[in-house]
Amino acid sequence: MSAAASVTDANFKPEVLESELPVLVDFWAPWCGPCRMVAPVVDEIAQQYEGQVKVVKVNTDESPSVASQYGIRSIPTLMVFKGGQRVDMVVGAVPKATLANTLEKYL
Amino acid sequence: MTSSNGPTQASERSLEAMRKFSQTYAKRSGTYFCVDPGVTAVVIEGLAKHKDELGAPLCPCRHYEDKEAEVAAAFWNCPCVPMRERHECHCMLFLTEDNDFAGEKQDITMEEIRQTTNTYVSAS
Repeated sequence: MSAAASVTDANFKPEVLESELPVLVDFWAPWCGPCRMVAPVVDEIAQQYEGQVKVVKVNTDESPSVASQYGIRSIPTLMVFKGGQRVDMVVGAVPKATLANTLEKYL
Repeated sequence: MTSSNGPTQASERSLEAMRKFSQTYAKRSGTYFCVDPGVTAVVIEGLAKHKDELGAPLCPCRHYEDKEAEVAAAFWNCPCVPMRERHECHCMLFLTEDNDFAGEKQDITMEEIRQTTNTYVSAS
């Protein structure tokens, strides 16, 4: 079971933009190889920062509006949202340390 | 959770075409498949799906506003322009020797591909 919940076009606003906690969003697609590598890293981050960061996943095939709204091109793209704003992003299958360092700035 | 219409696999014909292309192109470009064969499998399935749906193997590791327009533009049809010009494949299908994730293989079987991608379809 994945530690990161799925978010869609329909509930992106309440789940991400209106979240009290900073949110890490993993934009992924089913037939994207590096997404497969980053998914377990994202799950580890979700566990490690439980209570401090909310971690969610957006399938860009199923939620094209939100993906387009935030200018997603290369997949996977990981974005950090705080107070309803996008504050940072990392593109590609990055090591856990890179992702953790990015997140730490917004805790 | 996952929607009712989860991912579906490509036709065997397109999958075999993309499998053969991937093997040939890796050898021709001197690049290698990922140490995790699951990554290779997923990308080849994705290329084959796009070949079925769009007539061209559009990169499955990008989000597009309009897939038909992207196919016509040809920039992200595999092998994409960054791969042809600089050996850059952000999908991790074709990795240069110095890449930490590069394996030693330039071949993958249909069975290996479907072993991975079958789990994606049944999981949905």
